[in-house]
This record gives sequence, structure tokens and C-alpha cells, in this order.
Amino acid sequence: MNTLLLPVIIPALAALAIFLIPKKWPMREIFAVLVAVFNAIIAWYLFKKDMTLVFPWGGAWGMEFSFRLYGFSGFTLLATAFFALLIAIYSTSFMKDKEHVSQFYAYLLLILAQINGVVLSDNLILMLFFWEGMLLTMFGFIAIGGKKESIHTAVKAFIINGTTDLLMMAGIAITGYLAGTFTISQISLQTGGLASLAFILLIIGAISKAGSMPFHTWIPDAATDAPLPFMAFGPGSFEKLVGIYFLARICLNIFTLSPGSGLSTMLMIIGAITILAAVMMALVQKDYKKLLSYHAISQVGYMILGIGTALPIGIIGGLFHMLNNAIYKDCLFQTAGAVEKQTGTTDLYKLGGLASKMPVTFICFVIAALSISGTPFFNGFFSKELIYDGALESGMIFYLAAVVGSFFTAASFLKLGHAAYFGTPGESTHNVKKDVPLTMLVPMIVLAVLCIFFGVYNAYPLNAYFMPIIGAAANGHSFSGMPANFTLVIITILVLVLAYLNHKYGVKKFGAGIKAVDHIHHAPVLANIYNMAEKRYFDPYELGLKFVRIFSKASFSVDRGIDWIYNHLSVRATQVATNGIKKAHTGNFSMYIAWSLGGMIILVIWILRTVR
Amino acid sequence: MKNETLILLTVFVPVLGSFLLPLIGKISETTRNLCALIFVLVSLICSFLLLPTVMRGETISALYVQAVNMNYFYADSLAVFMAIVSSLVGAIIVLYSFGYISHYEHRNEYYFMVVLFLGSMMGIVYSRNLISIYVFWEITALACWRLIGFFRERTYVLRADKAFLVTVFGALMMLIGFLNIYGTAGSFDLGVISKSHVSNLAVLFIMFGILSKSATLPLHTWLPDAGVAPSPVTALLHAAVLVKIGVYVFARLFVVTIPLDEMWHTIIPIIAAVSALVSAGAALIDTDMKRIIAYSTVSQIGFIFLGLSIGNDVALAGGLLYILMHGLSKAALFLCAGIIEQATHTKDITKMGGLIKTMPVTAISFLICAFSVMGIPPLGGFFAKYLVINGAFKSGQTTISFVFLFGAVLTIIYLFRLFILIFMGHSKVEHPEKEGTPVMLISVATLAVLSILGGIFINYPAEVVMTTVQQIMGVVR
Repeated sequence: MNTLLLPVIIPALAALAIFLIPKKWPMREIFAVLVAVFNAIIAWYLFKKDMTLVFPWGGAWGMEFSFRLYGFSGFTLLATAFFALLIAIYSTSFMKDKEHVSQFYAYLLLILAQINGVVLSDNLILMLFFWEGMLLTMFGFIAIGGKKESIHTAVKAFIINGTTDLLMMAGIAITGYLAGTFTISQISLQTGGLASLAFILLIIGAISKAGSMPFHTWIPDAATDAPLPFMAFGPGSFEKLVGIYFLARICLNIFTLSPGSGLSTMLMIIGAITILAAVMMALVQKDYKKLLSYHAISQVGYMILGIGTALPIGIIGGLFHMLNNAIYKDCLFQTAGAVEKQTGTTDLYKLGGLASKMPVTFICFVIAALSISGTPFFNGFFSKELIYDGALESGMIFYLAAVVGSFFTAASFLKLGHAAYFGTPGESTHNVKKDVPLTMLVPMIVLAVLCIFFGVYNAYPLNAYFMPIIGAAANGHSFSGMPANFTLVIITILVLVLAYLNHKYGVKKFGAGIKAVDHIHHAPVLANIYNMAEKRYFDPYELGLKFVRIFSKASFSVDRGIDWIYNHLSVRATQVATNGIKKAHTGNFSMYIAWSLGGMIILVIWILRTVR
Repeated sequence: MKNETLILLTVFVPVLGSFLLPLIGKISETTRNLCALIFVLVSLICSFLLLPTVMRGETISALYVQAVNMNYFYADSLAVFMAIVSSLVGAIIVLYSFGYISHYEHRNEYYFMVVLFLGSMMGIVYSRNLISIYVFWEITALACWRLIGFFRERTYVLRADKAFLVTVFGALMMLIGFLNIYGTAGSFDLGVISKSHVSNLAVLFIMFGILSKSATLPLHTWLPDAGVAPSPVTALLHAAVLVKIGVYVFARLFVVTIPLDEMWHTIIPIIAAVSALVSAGAALIDTDMKRIIAYSTVSQIGFIFLGLSIGNDVALAGGLLYILMHGLSKAALFLCAGIIEQATHTKDITKMGGLIKTMPVTAISFLICAFSVMGIPPLGGFFAKYLVINGAFKSGQTTISFVFLFGAVLTIIYLFRLFILIFMGHSKVEHPEKEGTPVMLISVATLAVLSILGGIFINYPAEVVMTTVQQIMGVVR
């Protein structure tokens, strides 16, 4: 069998096996980890290779099974394999004693197979096949969350992503029709007219998968209703990788997005709004996982903003940020999982003082939090600086949005860290004796080390992974090393200092870490907006469902109206007609004779006319 | 065996065999059941045996009648494809009936009518002329009338009457259209008709018949009402036979034989779109399980008509695949509904809940098939929906395409509503009931597995569909 098929077939078959083996089987965890290891080895083996694989599949109409391995897909394959392996190891402890463990591992391997399929596909329809298939695994993942609301959140995620996938399907149809082929590597379209529509539809699919606004509202719900490892690799890493991967393919390969064009501005606006709105929501959350989930949305904004600039520096920044975000966000969700495992809650009111009780978790949290806030020399710093640079070149307003976003990011992590790890121990943290088991610590440590490594040696990921993707467009620039624009670095540092001062002010005013941002939360105007947001006035899903409800009521009455015609109107009409005819048949003999004569006369006239 | 003989066996073994079933039933119930299944399987196997020939692009004529100078039957790959779909789904439904119907009265009549129904479907599929289409068409109306009113309650019988009257009204309109065609072409033979011009008036009359049989707006309301029939019968009506008759005759007459005027390529998609949306909306409001699935059929038939009527190869292929995939999964949905209905003694979804715990096999099969109807990969429905939408865009019907995309979103929503209310949450049924009988579970699980395999191994059905489309497009141009 061709090596290229292995990353799809092996995890998929393993998933099937886990579904089928009896529930009591003790080796599921080990088996899943082994498959993840195997997948990682394959991905490592395939990395930096160029291969293609084509065979007919659905017959004609562009349905062709074609895989293409090259720099970008090889990298994404490797990154996915890496995160999948860490999560598999992490889950062996985390998912212990939980319900639906078999299903969990089966979905984990299945989604791995599907993501590998998306990444390797060189045919749009084949890609859609894997892409849309992720709906099922995602649905399953959230549904086994074990909370009362889990199934509803699963359905919400399914409906939102299902809608955007359908739009993407339309985009693929138009793209294929305009390009005359569905082979991605052969498509190169200019935007404009119908092509712009196709571009927008494809983008909707990509950014929705990545979790951008306005397709994000299921993520905070899933944060509390789905099993935590799903959050760590779903919205935390996998979905970013695959969504941004495809976004980059759309902007770089399928279409050529040019800087300053309307579509580029549109993308940057989406990015900027996502950064700001989501981080503002993150700021006021009182739950560890929910707070992280809003950051998972906000960070996508940076990637979309970076790629949306269509400048080499922005694109490189966006892609580098995609990797960095996957690393620190995965790490952060895992610290949340560690806290949940030891205390049984992620409610910040019940937490506090964990720094001394769970020191390793705490250190990993600090490193990842410093990274996401963009503190110098951590990985998030370098990718954010590249994005800042690109944003500033495209427009001051975008740069401002990004920097303000960073301020609130830092503020919310100061609050989170303070509330969970410092201060007086909350009611749930008294009984915590020790840190989580080694299988959970190791993945966190690996990720934390990577946060530092990819910061200090940013030349390695940039030159090895990302420069080949944009190729000649880099124009001989190297984006590695210290940021080129030193003024921006100083502004970044100032912003961080401001965030710290703001935190100090808040803690002093309200007396607790968790209330550190209440002065922003309850500020005039903002307080109203927060209220409305909490009542879900801005949730497109709720608005959409409202519309659907009105629509279905209307169509139901149309349907009932038509039924009334059959059940009542037609019956009534028949009755009236027969009554009329009945009246003509009175039993009066002379009347019948008159009828017959009349009929005969008409007949005779008709015959005479035709004979003539 | 000669191919002509195979066609005759396909049609006449079930049609004539069905008359024997009540007699066999007097002697032995089990033998009758098995005979019913065997008669249907004969159709399936004979159609499969015809497949290699038609896949080579050949056509087969059978039963030449000297007096009228016509062949009665005829097989091309479209006919064989349709026959396989119908008899495959039909056979599984008959198998399911062994469990479902075993404790009701009138079992002899039940098997008689079901097999006659499937046999006359085969008759329509292989018909070479308008007369035999009409004759078998009316036989199905009769069988369907008896089967909908199977439980003999007064309202049930009234609804059977309604279904009968609406479809027969359509059929008579269609007959006028047929006579009109005879007036211009001078023959009922499809081969002769294809060479002459057909007036738009005739098309209009025939469309009445097709839309009434395929339950498309505004001639659809008898179909949700027909939910009072036994569940295997509704599965038969929705998935295998009745509504597919209209779709098939549309394909046979207006895609293969008569090139439609340009305006119909816009009018029919619009009718289909309205039908798809209105019924999808109604499915979100209704609370009767079987009525919801019935509205879903009306809605999905809209997608099939869109595929068949838009007028290019991609959409046509999508429409044909849709017939297969929708048949498989919709049959399973109704059969699951039957299991649920027998376990809970209600059809009202607001009185159900939490059934996934007591009937996991039914729940999983239901969910898989619901995903297939939604068009989610790796299930078969995905390719069908994708090709139809793709074809619509290819023809430049952007607005209609987006309307159908909205319909697809509604499909997702109403199927989830149905699933959650039936299977999730707290049980509102007092005594948590057990699963259905093994033979019923095997039937639904088979359909679910076929839905999955149909998606992953799309190349096999796609190959047949591709040959069909090539043949059809060759004829039209």
C-alpha cells in the first residue's frame, strides 16, 4: 500500500477497532497511544518529502482520490501528529474512570484520520469529504461530555459548522466550475465577480473551522459541556491547524489575494473584530475553561488578520502564530484539565492558592500565559510582532486593534493566574495534596519547553517550516531573529506593563484576583453590552434559530392551508355540485322529457355541423 | 438465461406470485413469508444479472406484441439501476415485516399487496410504452390504497381514500397527457415518441400525475396523512416504491425520451424549491414522528427533482444517486419509527425521550441514516447532495442553489430535533420498553451499514450512475 494512505487508513481502522472491541478491554488507552506514536513516526518519515497519489474514486465529475504531500501539508501533518500524541498520552490519566472512554479514543483517532485526509487532499471534493466528516466526530466528542446540556451543545456545534460547511460546498462547486478542475494544485483563479463569491464562501468554511467570529458561539458552550481533552486539541489546536491551513491555501494557492484589495480588507476586519470582541468576553469570564475558550477564538483573529494582510510578513506571522497558539493553547487547556482533575471544578470562585500545591502545573501555566500575552522571548511574542508589522503596514486601525487585544489578553491572564493559583485557597482546593500524574505532566512540560524553544530559536520553525510555504514571495527577507521594528517592541512592552498596572489597580480596588477587571466589566456602556451578550442577543445561532422558527411556522400554515383545500374545500365543492344536480332530478316525468329533447337537439346540431 | 427472460421474470414473478401468497398463507405462515421475500429477491437478482449487459451500453427489449407493433418491456441502465434500488430496499422491508406484522390481522392481504406493489413498480421501471406505464401505475395506486387503510379504522380508511383520490386524479390528468402525445406522435411506444415533438400542454398534464405520485407541493398532503399505515408500508411508500415512481417516470419521460423546453428547466426547480422549503418548515413544527419523516421525504424529493430537471450531467448523476441513498436511509428511518412505535405505543415525539438507553441499536441506526439524509460524509447522502448542488451551480442557477442550501440546513435542524426528542433527555414513557425483534433490528442495521458503505465505496454506485448519465446524455443530444 502507498505510504501516503497510512496516515488516513491506520487511525481510521484503529478507531473502528476501538468501537468494536468489548467495553471491558483494558488496553484501549495503550492501543490508542501506540497508534498515535505510529502516526507520528509516519508523519516524521513523510516530512520534507514530495509525493503524489492519484486514483479514480467516484468516477467522473472531478471526484478523484488524490493526495499530495509537499512542504506545507507535510508540516501540518507532523504538527497534528505531535499534538495528537500528546493528547493521547494526557488522556490516559485524564479520561480514567470517565464514561464513554472507548468512544473518546475512537473519535480521537477518527478525527486524526480525517485531519490527515484534509491536509493531504489535493482534490477539493475529497477534502470536503474529510472536512465535513469532522462534523460527525466533533458531534460525538461533545455529546459524550456527560453534562445535561452536552447533546444540545453538540447539536449547536453541528448546526453552525454544518451550515458553514454547506456554504463551503457551494464555494467548492463554484470554484471547480470556474477553474474547470477540482485539483487544488492546478487551480489558480483571479478574484472578481463569481470568483469573489467563491472566495468568500470558501473563507467562511475555513474560518468557521478555525473558530472565528461570527461562527464561534458553540466553543464557549463546549468548553463546559465537552470532555476537556477535546477542547485542548479541537478548538485548541487541531481546528486552528486545519482551518488556518486551508485559509492559507485559499489565499495563497487557489486564489491570489493581493494586498489592499477589498477581500483582504474584509478578512482583516473579521480578524480585528474577532480579536477584540472575543478577548473582551474572555476578560469577564469566571470559569477557567470558558475563559480559555474565548481566547481560543480571539487568537484566531490574529491569524486571520495576519494572513488577511496578504503581505509576506503578515502571512508568515499568521502561520507562525497558528503553530505557537496551538502549542500554548493546548498547554493552557491541559493545565485547566489538571486543575479539574485535582479539584473537580474549574469555577474560579472555588479555586485559589494552587501554585504551591501543583507547582509543575503552575510553572507550565505561567510559561504558556506569558507566551499568549506576547511577552518578549516567548514564542507568541515573535509571531505577534510579525503580525503587528504586517497590520501596521495595512492600516493603523488594524494595528491598534491587535495591540488593544494584547492588552486585554495580558489582563485576563493576570486575573486567571491570580484567581486560580494565588490568593486564599478556595473551597475546592483545600484537599489538593499533590500535582497530577506524570502522564499528564509530561505533555504540559513538553509544550511549555516548546514555548520557550520556538521563542529563543524562532529561526528554526520559521526557516524550516514556514519560509518554504510562501516561497519566492519572501523576496529574500528573513523574518527570524529579533523583530525588525524596534518601536513596536517597545510599545508591546509598554502595553504589558500597563496591563500589569491595571491588574494591580483592580486587585487593590476590589480586593481579589478574580475581581481584578470588574472596573472594566462594570464600566458604563460596556456593562450594558456585557449584559446583552450574556443574554445571547449577539449569538448568530440563536438569531438564526429564531428566524427558522418563524419560517417554519409560516410554512406549516401554508401546508395546512393546502391540506384544507383537499379536506374541506374540495369536499364542500363536490357537495354543492351534487346538490345542484340532485335538484334537477325531481322525478317529474315531463321535466325529464324536456332534458332529453334538449340533449337530442344539441346532438343533432353538432352532427349536422360536422357532416357538413 | 436470456436477458429478455430475465426482464419478464423480474416483473411477472412478483406480480403473478403475489396472487398465490394468500393461498400459501392458508397452509403455512412461514412459507408465505419466505415466498414473499423470494419473489422480491427474484426481481433483485434478475436485475443484477442484467447489470453487466446494460453497463456495456446495450439495451434489451422484451415481449414484442405483433398486434400493436410495440415492445412491452425494455431495459437500459437507468431502468436496471432503479429496479435494483427498489427491489433491494423492498426486500429489506419485506424482511422487516416478518417481525412487524406478525401480530396483526389480514397478514395474507398484507403480503399480497406488498409484493404486488413491488412487482408493478418493476413493471413501470421496465415499461417500453405509455400504456403499460399507466396500467402498472394504477395497480400501485390500488395496492397503496389497501395498504394505507390496513388498520381499517375510520379515519385511516378516509386517509387511504384521500391518497387514492389524489393520485388517481393525477393519473387521469397524466392519461390525458398521454393521449395528447399519442395524437401528435401516433404511437405509445417510447422509441417512436422520442423522435417527435411533444407539446408543453402534454408535459403539463403529465407533470400533474408525476407530482401527485411523488408528493410534491401542492399535491403532497396525502403523504404525511398516509403515515397511519403500518411502518413497513410507509417505508415502502417513501423509500422504495411510490414516490420514486413519480421521480422515475419523470426521468424516463422527460430526461431520457422527450427533451423538455428550456422553460421547464427553470419552472420545475422552482416548484421543487418551494416544495423542499415548505415541507422542511412543516417538519420542524409537526409532532407526529411519522409525519415529520414524511415531510422530510417531500423535502428531499425536491432535491431529486432539482437534480433531474436542471439539465446537466452532474446534477442528473446527483439526482440518480440521491434516489439510491435517500431510499436506503429513509427506509431505515421509517423502520426505526416502526420499532419505536411498537415499543412505546405512541407516535407523538413530545411524549418520548431517553430511548437511546433502552434501544441503542435502533438509536444508532436512526442517527446514521439521519446523517445520510443530511448529506454528511462519509455517508452516501453526501455525494448525492454535493453533486446536485454542484450541478445547479454549474447551470448558473445560483439563487435556486442557495435556496436549496437553506433547505439542507433545515434538514439538519429538523432531523436533530426529531432525534433529540425521541432518543435523548429523560424518558417520558412509563415503562422503558425493550428493543424490537432481532429480524427488525437486522433490517435497520443493514440499511445503516449500506448507507455507510455507499459513501465509502462510492465508486460502485457511481459507475452505474455514470454509465446511465452517459447513455441519457447521448440520447438527448
